[in-house]
Amino acid sequence: MKTRMPVRPTDLVIGVAILLAVVVATVALLRPGTFNDRAPAAPEESSAAAAEQQIDPALICYEQAREIPVAMRKLRALAVGPDNRIYVGGDQVIHVLDSSGAKQSEITLDAPPRCLAVGPADHAFPGRLYVGMDDHVEVYGADGLREATWDALGEQALLTCIALAEEDVFVADAGNRIVLRHDPSGKLKNRIGAPDERRHIPGFAITSAYFDLAVCPDRLLRVVNPRALRIEAYAFDGDLELYWGKPSAKPDGFFGCCNPVHVAVFPDGRFVTAEKGIPRVKIYSPEGEFKCVVAGPDQLAVGSEDVIADMAIDGRGQVLVLAARAGGLQVFRPKQTGNGAKP
Amino acid sequence: MIRLLRVLTPWIILLILASAANAQNLIPLPEFTDHEIRETENPSARAAWREHLDLAALAVGLVLASYFALVKRSRRGLYLLAIASLIWLGFWRQGCVCPIGSIQNVVLALADPEYALPIGVVVLFALPLVFALFVGRTFCAGVCPLGALQELVAVRPIQVPVWLDQTLGLLAYVYLGAAVLFAAMGTAADPIFVICRYDPFVGFFRFGGSANMLLVGGCFLVVGLFVGRPYCRYLCPYGVLLGLLSKLSKWHVRIPPQECVQCRLCEDACPYGAIREPTVNQTAEERVRGRRRLARLIVLLPVLVGVGAWLGHGTGASLSRLDPVVRLADRILLEETGRAEGTSDASDAFRNTGRPIEELYREAFDKTRRFGVAGAWLGAWVGLVIGGKLIYLSVRRRREDYQPDRSNCVACGRCFWYCPNEQARLGLIKGLTPADTAP
Amino acid sequence: MADQHAQKIDRRRFVGNGVRLAGAVGLGGAAGLLAAQRGGPERDVWQIDPDVCIACTNCETHCVLDESAVKAVQCFLMCGYCDVCTGYFPTADFELNTAAENHLCPTGALKRRFIEARAGVRYFEYTIEESECIGCGKCVKGCALMNGSLYLQVRHDRCVNCNECAIAVACPSQAFRRVPASEPNLLKKTARDLMAKRAQDA
Repeated sequence: MKTRMPVRPTDLVIGVAILLAVVVATVALLRPGTFNDRAPAAPEESSAAAAEQQIDPALICYEQAREIPVAMRKLRALAVGPDNRIYVGGDQVIHVLDSSGAKQSEITLDAPPRCLAVGPADHAFPGRLYVGMDDHVEVYGADGLREATWDALGEQALLTCIALAEEDVFVADAGNRIVLRHDPSGKLKNRIGAPDERRHIPGFAITSAYFDLAVCPDRLLRVVNPRALRIEAYAFDGDLELYWGKPSAKPDGFFGCCNPVHVAVFPDGRFVTAEKGIPRVKIYSPEGEFKCVVAGPDQLAVGSEDVIADMAIDGRGQVLVLAARAGGLQVFRPKQTGNGAKP
Repeated sequence: MIRLLRVLTPWIILLILASAANAQNLIPLPEFTDHEIRETENPSARAAWREHLDLAALAVGLVLASYFALVKRSRRGLYLLAIASLIWLGFWRQGCVCPIGSIQNVVLALADPEYALPIGVVVLFALPLVFALFVGRTFCAGVCPLGALQELVAVRPIQVPVWLDQTLGLLAYVYLGAAVLFAAMGTAADPIFVICRYDPFVGFFRFGGSANMLLVGGCFLVVGLFVGRPYCRYLCPYGVLLGLLSKLSKWHVRIPPQECVQCRLCEDACPYGAIREPTVNQTAEERVRGRRRLARLIVLLPVLVGVGAWLGHGTGASLSRLDPVVRLADRILLEETGRAEGTSDASDAFRNTGRPIEELYREAFDKTRRFGVAGAWLGAWVGLVIGGKLIYLSVRRRREDYQPDRSNCVACGRCFWYCPNEQARLGLIKGLTPADTAP
Repeated sequence: MADQHAQKIDRRRFVGNGVRLAGAVGLGGAAGLLAAQRGGPERDVWQIDPDVCIACTNCETHCVLDESAVKAVQCFLMCGYCDVCTGYFPTADFELNTAAENHLCPTGALKRRFIEARAGVRYFEYTIEESECIGCGKCVKGCALMNGSLYLQVRHDRCVNCNECAIAVACPSQAFRRVPASEPNLLKKTARDLMAKRAQDA
């Protein structure tokens, strides 16, 4: 049998080494993160980028005045007529609401409308209703009866906006990437915005059914070139006069693929834009200088699966926003209180 | 709370943005005048023949190891083979031609019909076992890179007291049971392979990995300097299978080339405590006592299994912490009840899928319940292993010579050198033939 | 006595051979059966489902390789060739040029090349220089704001195909799955649809 040996110093060293290694290994095993825990990730700098897309409350110069429910499944078009009457198109119908939002009448259509315009006081036919269908314009009298159906504009056509001047009806055709200038009877006067190197007109870059325009007090037509993220100003005869707009996630620019999706103009020439992607409505000076924000993602009733279907301004300086699936429209009025930016 | 909201809002907006972009139409490809749209270039996966080469290398390694251990009796051959395997299977193939880990793939294939088990893995799993059935654990001797690494660092091995050696040896069974349990509870998409996760050496093979795991591996190597092959002996789950089959092996490594002269020179030769001494005859009284003890242990076995199952059932909840579904549900529950601040990537991702939380809870609850059952099985297994070991140790076997313990011997060939008969065989002891030393 | 002993040894050997044979046949048979029933002849490899991936940056940090096997990939078919690429530029405070301070990519692995200008829009092609990509997914997250043509993929010339992928364990959205080695890459559903449509049109 083996005899018991006295403990040698080397044995002691070995014993200590083993013990130490076992302890260290145990600690290392029990330390968190050893096995790639699905630990909550620390917010990193990209949240700063997201923060940039948030809107500083100080920039918001409007507040919601009220919401007007509209009983339609899918809302598509919005216009404000004389006496601040509100016209809302969707499904296969147009609701005419008075300035308080109460429904006065409705006009039944054969197909879903895409866009609306109501003749203002200075139009040849005040109160006349121009309804853009997929490929043609229908004209309704102030009494709601159909007066005319203009010629279809071809298979490619997709009408997305109508704007009116005294003797002109401008129709934006996203499908053919062109603006058509008609007289009130529907006769084509000229085409605006076709690519033309001689006149330095680049043409419109349009990738979806968002192509908007507005007639401004300076008698220039403002047309959105959505993919280029800019607003182009054309004379009625088709000359490109100027353009503005810069890409940015910050409120002063247009963000995303193709923006803005809707525009409107105040009588003083200030310009209102509505964007998709980051849903927001903003005001620019006539020269394109950013002024303030009407409403941002937090104020708009536009869900993640939703977009701003249309936007309009009324005679009282209010901005009306229609979300496609929100079931109604939001009315924003300039902030009464002293704080915040002035529109 | 407000501060928290402020931190979170950008994330929420980002999520909204991301989903909004998806919901909207894609920006279409521009109509380029003369630019051709490029194709995405993707590197292809590793060619299949290279996988076959690995399997061939494994087979050749096994044959060579068996040849060196049993026929050539060459410790040097085994040593060189160990180095070669460390280089090929270890550093070059980064420790992932691994029969140890393949246990889990096999179990997962049995548990989850969704999981398609590659035939290569079946071969990987079965080949060393078949070899063990005929020639013992030659896989461990010089083929397994984990074994090879520990074999090379075992420079000053001490003898671990038998009681401690046997007790620690049970850990490997427990580990095997746990590995099987987790593999069976995982899914093809989300396997829970603890053997791979807790592999202490793979970090060295890859020259990188989680700092903690490298530290653990380093500790194993430090212990391995003094305690031969700590992972193989006390943890390796595949070693358990190999050991069991090796007991039945037709041929096995012998300490002397032919006859044992019982010179006791090899008594301390094995750094892995795998050499068994010849038995001494028992007195009649001892025999009776031994039989009584055996009978008592056999009666005790079912009790141990039962107690193990009962205790094991209680561990279900903690076992389920390794399951991704349960962890996600836990996290969501904490967030929903306001006990956790903020959200994690995982909970964000889950909420973004729009799946109802109740469904997740149900799934997690179901999983936890199944883990309870699995824990009971694991407990029963541990009870069975302890009882079985006690019984095994109480059964007397007659040994007339110094012999390697067939289940513990890894065929490293260290003991050959200690045998005078071997020295004679090699002609190192002049003027002596093996016949001279015959008793 | 000697006879008996020899007989005993013979018997033992016979039983032992039988057990071994049965064991070998059983093991082989079980393995074969398993392979036949559940087995695929093919190996499988890890891949990220880009439709599930949330580009959380775990791919960059959790791979067992020092330089992750996961890289960003550009699906040119899905790309909008945007001038203002949200995967290339940070979403705020940048100039529209390739100066380093305007890169969202920490290593400058995303390259921008002018293609052409039409209708007031400038189009750029964006490609990933894989040797510089670290798989952090910043561009992926940025691009997700637009078309999502950039996404993360396991690159099989780098991946060591661990039995249990460390990134898969750490993946918060369970985007990792095993795919057959012959089809080792995954596309977004949008890209698959686009390709199907193209094939139909052609």
